[in-house]
Amino acid sequence: MKKLIARVAATAVALALPLSMVAPAHASATPVTISVWTYGNVIEPQALIDYKKIHPEITIQLKKSGLDAHHQSLITSFLANKTPDIAAVEVSYSGYFRSYPQYFTDLRQAPYNSGSIQSNYLPWRWAQGVGYEGTVFGIPTDVGGMEVAYRTDLFKAHGLPTDRTKVAKLWPTWDAFFNTGKLYQSHLSKAEKTSCTKLKVCYGFIDNAGTVYNAVLNQGTQKYYQNDGTKDGKLIYSTNPQVKKAFQTTANALASGVGTNINSFTNDWNVGMNKGIFATILAPAWMMDYIKQQAPKTKGKWDIAALPGGGGNLGGSQLTIPKAAAHKSQAWDFIKWYLSPAEQLAIFKKYGLFPSTSVLYNNPALKNYKDPFFNNAPVGAIYGASVQTLHPIYEGKKERAIDNIIGQALSRVGLKKQSAAAAWTQAMNEIKNAVG
Amino acid sequence: MSTATKKPQTPWRVSTPASAKKKKPAKAPDGAVVKSLNGNWGYLFTAPFIVMFLVFGLAPVVYSVYIAFFQWDPLDMTHNYVGIANFQRVVADDQFWLAVRNTFSIWALSTFPQMLMAIGLANVLRNPKLKFKTFWRTMLLVPNITSVLAVAIVFGQLFSRDFGLVNLAREWLGMPDHINFVSETIPGHIAIATMITWRWLGYNALIFLAAMLAVPNELYEAAAIDGASSWRQFTNVTLPGIRNTITFVLVVGTIGGLQVFAEPLTLAGGESGGDSRQFSTLTLFLFEQAHMGNWGYAATIGIMITFIVLIISGINFFFTRRIANGENVQ
Repeated sequence: MKKLIARVAATAVALALPLSMVAPAHASATPVTISVWTYGNVIEPQALIDYKKIHPEITIQLKKSGLDAHHQSLITSFLANKTPDIAAVEVSYSGYFRSYPQYFTDLRQAPYNSGSIQSNYLPWRWAQGVGYEGTVFGIPTDVGGMEVAYRTDLFKAHGLPTDRTKVAKLWPTWDAFFNTGKLYQSHLSKAEKTSCTKLKVCYGFIDNAGTVYNAVLNQGTQKYYQNDGTKDGKLIYSTNPQVKKAFQTTANALASGVGTNINSFTNDWNVGMNKGIFATILAPAWMMDYIKQQAPKTKGKWDIAALPGGGGNLGGSQLTIPKAAAHKSQAWDFIKWYLSPAEQLAIFKKYGLFPSTSVLYNNPALKNYKDPFFNNAPVGAIYGASVQTLHPIYEGKKERAIDNIIGQALSRVGLKKQSAAAAWTQAMNEIKNAVG
Repeated sequence: MSTATKKPQTPWRVSTPASAKKKKPAKAPDGAVVKSLNGNWGYLFTAPFIVMFLVFGLAPVVYSVYIAFFQWDPLDMTHNYVGIANFQRVVADDQFWLAVRNTFSIWALSTFPQMLMAIGLANVLRNPKLKFKTFWRTMLLVPNITSVLAVAIVFGQLFSRDFGLVNLAREWLGMPDHINFVSETIPGHIAIATMITWRWLGYNALIFLAAMLAVPNELYEAAAIDGASSWRQFTNVTLPGIRNTITFVLVVGTIGGLQVFAEPLTLAGGESGGDSRQFSTLTLFLFEQAHMGNWGYAATIGIMITFIVLIISGINFFFTRRIANGENVQ
């Protein structure tokens, strides 16, 4: 009797199992957890909430680290063959990973067929996710772009126009930008001047003239490496005139004293933003959200004007699927959804991350978008026009290390520890030792 | 006769082992089990540690010695054998020696003032008249259980140039020159040493306190009867009594000091340790090289750190022995 019951039960289970497996498969309701490793705000919280509505069966496990820590642990995970399902790769590291496409899923292949969505994106942003032998290892997220965020109230108080088109006309070139800075400094009030001599808190035109370096460098066509078809590329940092030009322009700016020498993302910077210690910041689109968070009381006092010398860029990432990922198809579904033009538009409106989906740039929803925090500046149109003027730049293997060394050299110039020439020589030697 | 009486005894004696053998089973099990435990079972019980040590302790050490002879980028499939080139490079590397200097500078600034303060603090806590003893002793450990990064971030704000509390306090005291702790070498080292001191002061004070409480009370009473002031009691009774502990704290502090990492990393805001590499300590330099993809060179730096620790430990050992011998003579 017992045996019979057991047999019936077993048959029932055996019959029910395939049924239960078949039925939800159509709704793909098998619960899956995909792990996503990022840094900063590459994946915004709203996106996770929205995705849960469309795909309740997918749980996204987000792990956020610091920029460098994130990429280092990604390398370790490749070595351990235990990777996340999705990993962000920032532009300054994309040069490194493009030398190692064997650790990523080639998204050109079926079933991903990235070629079918490629035309949605800015070509130079797309190129940052292409490996040295042509594989597509990442799909672009936002594009940094770069413009000048300025304080209209401070400009008015220091004898400068406030209208954004007039302001942009003040500085067609970087030299003109620094001359405007000198003009601003000459109108510093007595209180602001005494603050510098007595309290040692100095007011200035720009937060840190050192930030000019990246802006100028990105306006060229080459950085530290030249694409010669090899895995690592050819080092040209010491011969590329654009590197020298960016360094010299920045060193001159630092010497002219128009900056406050406050480093970005420090405590002094956050306080200075609130107190109006500086009037301009070179701002990628993602910086707008940072300013809103850090200095909410300055709402309406900011505006955005075009960057001297043409367009600019700072930052941006690709979302990748490592080769050892466990849930590739779910990962691809999420990437395709999150980086689709529609979702990128929603993210832009909520967080100010500027989409690299260039098909949106003529979309009225983006083109006519105005930000009240920035005095109703048409930020969509401004950033959209600027990122389209940039050329694809070959990002090299150890770009991050070279950037750091040159950044330190410029710091020393800014702090008057070294002359520009000595800092340049030392930087070139350090780079030679570090990367060859 | 005696031999005759002895002779029958011999067989009996010979038979004793036999009878003992029969008897032993009653007593033997304990002894037998203990013996076999000591012999073979002991290894089984220590196996968890041995295995862990081999896998996570020894193997990485051996492996890092191995890769020190290579040019080794982590993601590359092939690695180039370069012989002792990495060692030749490290000995001639200015950045390495700068890291050595920085490490020792921060170590000296954080260890010696901290020792003096910890002994002083322990002496205050030793005072039998002190109220809320347990409370004070507990409070001393709070900095130690706070996350290093949280400490570093808070201190980074305190030491910031324009609006940092330290500079505001200096201004209030009539010193309006703002110190840029992040860019100047010695002030920066002092800032880092302050973080380390804040973190470890209470811990070391408790160790000194424990040592002081072990000093026999009679010595203090005798000293008091002889008319010794509390300062004399401190220098002539307390300090000699805790000499060994001072050495211990110094040794542990040195090992920790040679590995200082999180504090300079956060203050400098990067692994290269500031614009002039003024906060680049040995461990930070190792990390920087490893993260630039130079694993072979990073491993070489690790081996150099080991040598430095060995040399310092040798010096410590030498002094410890002298101090210990001196105590025996007393």
